[in-house]
Amino acid sequence: MSTNDPVQRQMIREAMQAVAQRKPGRSKLVYDKTKRTIVAVTEGAQTPQALNITADDADMFGVITVSSEWLREKWPELNRAGILPVAFSSWDDGDALTQSELCVQASPITVLGTFLLDQYQAESSQGLAILLERTEASSSKPDVFVSPEGTRYRGQIVQPAQPSCQPSDIVFADVEPQLALRRSGILETTILQDKTVLCIGLGTGGAHVVVELAKCGVGRFLLVDRDRLSVGNVVRHPGGISQVGRLKVNVVRDLILEKNPNAKIEAHALEVGFGNKDLISELVRASDIVICGTDNRQSKLLINELCITANVTAIYGGAFRRAYGGQILRVRPKHSPCHQCFVAAMPEEASDVEVSSEVDANEIAYSDQPVAVEPGLSLDVLPIANMLAKLALLELLADKSSTLNTLRRDFDAPWYLWLNRPEPGTPYADWPPLSESSDEMTIKRWYGIYFDRDEACPVCGHFVASLAASYGLDPSLLPALPAEE
Amino acid sequence: MWSTDQRNRLAMEHQILQREGFSQFSVYHHSAHDSYYASGLATSSSSRRYNLYSPIPPGFPSQRPPLYIIDPNPLLMANGTAISRLGVSHAMHTLTPHDQGWVQICHWRDARWHSGIVLQKVFLKALIWIEAYEQHLATGRDLADFVRTMAEAA
Repeated sequence: MSTNDPVQRQMIREAMQAVAQRKPGRSKLVYDKTKRTIVAVTEGAQTPQALNITADDADMFGVITVSSEWLREKWPELNRAGILPVAFSSWDDGDALTQSELCVQASPITVLGTFLLDQYQAESSQGLAILLERTEASSSKPDVFVSPEGTRYRGQIVQPAQPSCQPSDIVFADVEPQLALRRSGILETTILQDKTVLCIGLGTGGAHVVVELAKCGVGRFLLVDRDRLSVGNVVRHPGGISQVGRLKVNVVRDLILEKNPNAKIEAHALEVGFGNKDLISELVRASDIVICGTDNRQSKLLINELCITANVTAIYGGAFRRAYGGQILRVRPKHSPCHQCFVAAMPEEASDVEVSSEVDANEIAYSDQPVAVEPGLSLDVLPIANMLAKLALLELLADKSSTLNTLRRDFDAPWYLWLNRPEPGTPYADWPPLSESSDEMTIKRWYGIYFDRDEACPVCGHFVASLAASYGLDPSLLPALPAEE
Repeated sequence: MWSTDQRNRLAMEHQILQREGFSQFSVYHHSAHDSYYASGLATSSSSRRYNLYSPIPPGFPSQRPPLYIIDPNPLLMANGTAISRLGVSHAMHTLTPHDQGWVQICHWRDARWHSGIVLQKVFLKALIWIEAYEQHLATGRDLADFVRTMAEAA
């Protein structure tokens, strides 16, 4: 509220309450065109008393948000007893109260209250009391709740949490339908609800990808990462300072639930390695798509092998060092080059990875030649993560009808390259300035690049057979190995 | 434990060694433990002999096979100290030594290994490493001075 005058505040409060509750009152609010402000017109008064209300005052009421789904579930209980306890997370000094069942991460302050079907019970209840009264108002009104029997009720506060509390609007939120409504224009949300995404590696990129997919309505996630969120991660990772020390799988699980509360999530805090190949293999087989966000060659090769065997599409994304650019490889088993084909065909590109942690640095360091941790900016990683999420979405929608189908001809290549800057010492250092080039490769553009599958690939091809053929051997009749020495 | 593809691959690796001039090295199957290893004696141009040993990891070929010099042990530097004390050394092109003190030759780092690399190339790099090691013994200079990056040599 922009005015500090207590008289003004009281007038505003009363007038707006009267308007909000659509009750005949002694005053009403009117927009005065000449003064370009809202004025309170008091019944019987000669002249309207101007109030210093500006646009800032439009949101003067706090909001109490209640889950309609929860209230429908509890309706028999409320009907029977006439009273139903409810708890809220209190935010911003009580300005917003969000029902605890809606909160993935709760406020440290909880406000207790009750729903009532009979206002006389308000006297016996403690704390916030919300009366549900039958109404003929439209069910599209935010403060109208539709019971399981189809009866409409308006919620109104008959007793504030504390006498000093300012008035609040009640909003009944039907979360899933409201989220689906926002996506339905462009996405086949019913298809995505049944899809499972396995994301291995929940750093800045991987975490961003799965949260974006959750926003699109993907219904099930399998998350794999062994790391915890550190203070240093916070400048890049979607997780914040209040989550430092938590396992990244749990941080990201909560981020997903904040965007898609009905998502089913399995969190696996484990390292991807040959030692737990069987478990990773199970997860791959349970997935519709695998997102690989690790920068570790060995784990990528293992994931590649498991995805090819299980015939599951995988998308590998990563930033180059200091995130001067990045690349994405989409592997459709047996139809496009696999990650092994990629590292064999383009060893330098495949080895250009961001060194964003001590673990990454140790991977390539020597005791007498340390490697510095040089993470790039989140700003430079996110374009790669966004593109990866879009490619994943297209794969999940497969051949189903979707507005995004028009992208299929654009995203046909297996390998995608993006440059944030023409980094000195790289093959891209001499790329022309963005403003001077119309037909040459430049920064800040995606390039889809084609290359062929290696028919003799050790993972997706016929490596042994092709070698055997070159020696005139029958691969099914290779001589036995010598016994141990 | 081992897939048919892995067993076929190892049988083929042995054939490549035998047919490409590396017949001093073989791939062996330890039937009692159903494990595999590659080993053999390398002879340097100065006729010194080095016993090489590579236990095949369960994730092979996606997982990099380590390559150790198990004899001589300890393998000494020009200054008389054991190379294994250096750990992961760029100067001497070594990786984490075995618990028994065997020097692990850095043929490929994990970050560069892929399943298209055959054991013949691993042993080729070992032969190069041994020649560079003997140059190190003769001059006292870092082994790295005599070996271009292993990636180039491959």
